[in-house]
Amino acid sequence: MGYWPVPAFQNSRSMDKFAEIKNVSYSYRQSGREPLVAVNQISLDIPRGGHMVILGRNGSGKSTLARLINALEQPSEGTLVVDDLPAAVEENIWEIRRRCGMVFQNPDNQIIGTTVEEDVAFGPENLGFPPADIRRAVDDALAVVGLEDMTQKAPHLLSGGQKQKLAIAGILAMRPSCLILDEATSMLDPLSRQEFMDLVCRLSRDEGLTVINITHNMEEVQLADQVAVMGDGRLVSIGTPADIFEQIEQIKAEGLDVPAHNEIVYELANRLQIPLYPKEAATWEGALATVRRLLAVASSDAELRKKTIWAADLIRSEQAVRVSDKRSESEPIISVENLAYTYAADSPQATTALHDVSFDVRRGELLGIVGHSGSGKSTLIQHLNGLLRVQAGSVRVLGLNASNNADIRKIRQKVGLLFQYPEHQLFEETVFRDIAFGPRRMNLEEDEVNRRVLRAAEIVGLQTDDLERSPFELSGGQKRRAAIAGVLAMEPEILILDEPAAGLDPAGRDEILGYAGTLRDLGVTVILVSHSMEDVSRLADRVLVLRQGCVHALGRPADVFSDARRLAEAGLAVPRPSAFLRALQEDLPGLDCDCYSPEAAVEALITCFASRLPATEPECPRDGDGDV
Amino acid sequence: MFDNISLGRYYPGQSALHRLDPRTKLIAAIVIMVIVFLVRGLWPMLAIALLTGLLILASRVPVKIVLSGLKPMLLILIFAFLLNLLTVPGGKVWFAWGPLTVTEAGFLTAIRMTARLAFLIMNTTLMLTLTTTPIMVADATENLMAPLKKIRFPVHEMAMMMSIALRFVPTLLEETDKIMKAQSSRGADYDTGGLISKARGLVSVLIPLFVSSFKRAEDLAVAMEARCYRGGEGRTRLKSLAYTRLDLLFFAGLLGAGAVVLALEFALPATV
Repeated sequence: MGYWPVPAFQNSRSMDKFAEIKNVSYSYRQSGREPLVAVNQISLDIPRGGHMVILGRNGSGKSTLARLINALEQPSEGTLVVDDLPAAVEENIWEIRRRCGMVFQNPDNQIIGTTVEEDVAFGPENLGFPPADIRRAVDDALAVVGLEDMTQKAPHLLSGGQKQKLAIAGILAMRPSCLILDEATSMLDPLSRQEFMDLVCRLSRDEGLTVINITHNMEEVQLADQVAVMGDGRLVSIGTPADIFEQIEQIKAEGLDVPAHNEIVYELANRLQIPLYPKEAATWEGALATVRRLLAVASSDAELRKKTIWAADLIRSEQAVRVSDKRSESEPIISVENLAYTYAADSPQATTALHDVSFDVRRGELLGIVGHSGSGKSTLIQHLNGLLRVQAGSVRVLGLNASNNADIRKIRQKVGLLFQYPEHQLFEETVFRDIAFGPRRMNLEEDEVNRRVLRAAEIVGLQTDDLERSPFELSGGQKRRAAIAGVLAMEPEILILDEPAAGLDPAGRDEILGYAGTLRDLGVTVILVSHSMEDVSRLADRVLVLRQGCVHALGRPADVFSDARRLAEAGLAVPRPSAFLRALQEDLPGLDCDCYSPEAAVEALITCFASRLPATEPECPRDGDGDV
Repeated sequence: MFDNISLGRYYPGQSALHRLDPRTKLIAAIVIMVIVFLVRGLWPMLAIALLTGLLILASRVPVKIVLSGLKPMLLILIFAFLLNLLTVPGGKVWFAWGPLTVTEAGFLTAIRMTARLAFLIMNTTLMLTLTTTPIMVADATENLMAPLKKIRFPVHEMAMMMSIALRFVPTLLEETDKIMKAQSSRGADYDTGGLISKARGLVSVLIPLFVSSFKRAEDLAVAMEARCYRGGEGRTRLKSLAYTRLDLLFFAGLLGAGAVVLALEFALPATV
């Protein structure tokens, strides 16, 4: 193995293609079953120096494709040429792996070294670089990612974002020409995600690295110049982000997200029955301009005016059916007063996680707790069922004192707490027994245990024959459901969900978050903890924003989001649909901007459109006026 | 919950002890171990205490942190002390109750044994964990055991396994804490209840821990391959091991100190 100071792309022959994938298939062998075809007849060219995003549901073959490009797997059919090196040639494998660095999803499971510096050195060491060159490569790489002050730090002390930057440094030290990100940002909070992607874009621009990013995040998709969509191991569609998000129906049918502005405009045009021009709503600005155009068209002739008013009437009648909520005014069920908590209090590493936090949770409401990693969210919720003992202040839950041992036992039966990645807590022989674990600890009659297990399984959509299987045989999404059922079966009065949708694809996320809404409707008080404003704002009756261990804001989503600057201080942004409407406020005075889902935004727009039309049409008087 | 365990916790620094070659420290740890076990007398024991003190000073690691390394072994220390105190006969009898007697010889032996263990633990953690990263220890082991490669002993693989195991100690402790909290929220009780219910409780922690460890191992293997790992063949090191004058100086000092301790031990009349 030699040492390549010059990036490989500068002296290669074909300047256009970084990877050529021709009719490539790959299947996993499974004992006793048919092989699983993960990648099916894919042909794809990846442009050199480009930025490509691969979208697809979990299990659609995206990660397998990435591993094929990195020569971690060999195709069972087809040919693959990476950076002019045919991957089928044994001697090329190590060179391909050197040139294609890969950042994986879980930051902890890719760090080998016991200090930052040792970890970055791992790759160059494997390549047999001389020690002086390793030293240089390590120092350069750490300077590029901005970790140069932490060379001797133990990796478990880094934050999630720092760990992923460390992973990039480990790759840069091998002087790669391509960076493959396999859901590398899915475990990061929005701020770290932003920083991480800034770094990736800088590398792509300055070092000419080819970037292949597997992600579910819509903001990352906008950074790409090409998007490939995969489904069931096949390539479903490929094009620029603008091309791809033209096909909204198809993308949604794949269980994927569409940027909020695309979806709002598409749905709005649909409801008003006005055709869109190709790619007119591709960008944020384009989408805003399109809404203005639609408004002009909708008020241009009588026929269209009538349609708009009908659409608005329909929305009004639908909204009337929905239950108006008075939940936020019911009695407090949890009250936290002046709570403060310090980890390792009497040591030099003492860190204060909470300073003087006070708030109430009201019966039957869905309270969202939002904040960045390190804002104190986890510490706070662990006080609510006595996992952490109150150091200062007081926590009362259902009239019980959470610092009293006898009360904690009772509290734990009434307060269900679901941690992040709850599937990690599964352990019984069958799913049924695992779900029954909690109820059995409550010393219930066997009949009652049965009833509760079946009911919990039904809420999360587990089939009866799944209940007799081992939890470890289930798919990722099914495991998550089983773990949630395990907490639901205790029939808690209060349910705390910590990032329940972490690591799921958009369809899985919507499903799991849907349960939070369902349970609230069943009368359970729900506390939903997340760093995603988008997820929380759609569901929550009230939102609590934590920042550096303090309550930064608390109130109805509309109140909390009305002060965008204060929100930005906590590193949070107004949810996209609402931000989109805010940008239109000048053109459309009286527009209700407190909408947190694309559907609600469309409804608000139509209502506002209709209100701006002349109330009555002289030549065709409306006959339904009196009934509405 | 597990914050006080100093096993595998490196204390970053640039002190003389940090800069020593890990092989020197590995050999030194063995030398000190042998000396500690040869010594019986009071004076040589004090000499060892002095030596330990000097080493701690040279390492610039706060005494509190070195002492905290004793915490997980506290039970064993207390057990060793009581066992010797209550069972070793000889000398003046101070106290007797049934078969249990506390004698002067027993007391002295108890102190000696406990001190030996404490010095042993303190010196080893100081040399091999606090001032040396696990990877350096693994490197040193690999290097010192290199001759065994000739008889096909997988020296590199052993060293790699060792350093990875140590790298994941804090991660797995965190994970254990998380799983215990998750199961506690489902009503598991790890503090009260009989032995059987405690053992059952352990199952609810160990199985998830095993499952996630296998998953981690799988992920890590892929990540290592992606970074071109293919065994020890042709691998170089960022910090290739090289003895410096510091090592020579340290070793000479240590042997000198060892000679003094042994001289005190064998030249002075035994105190017991």
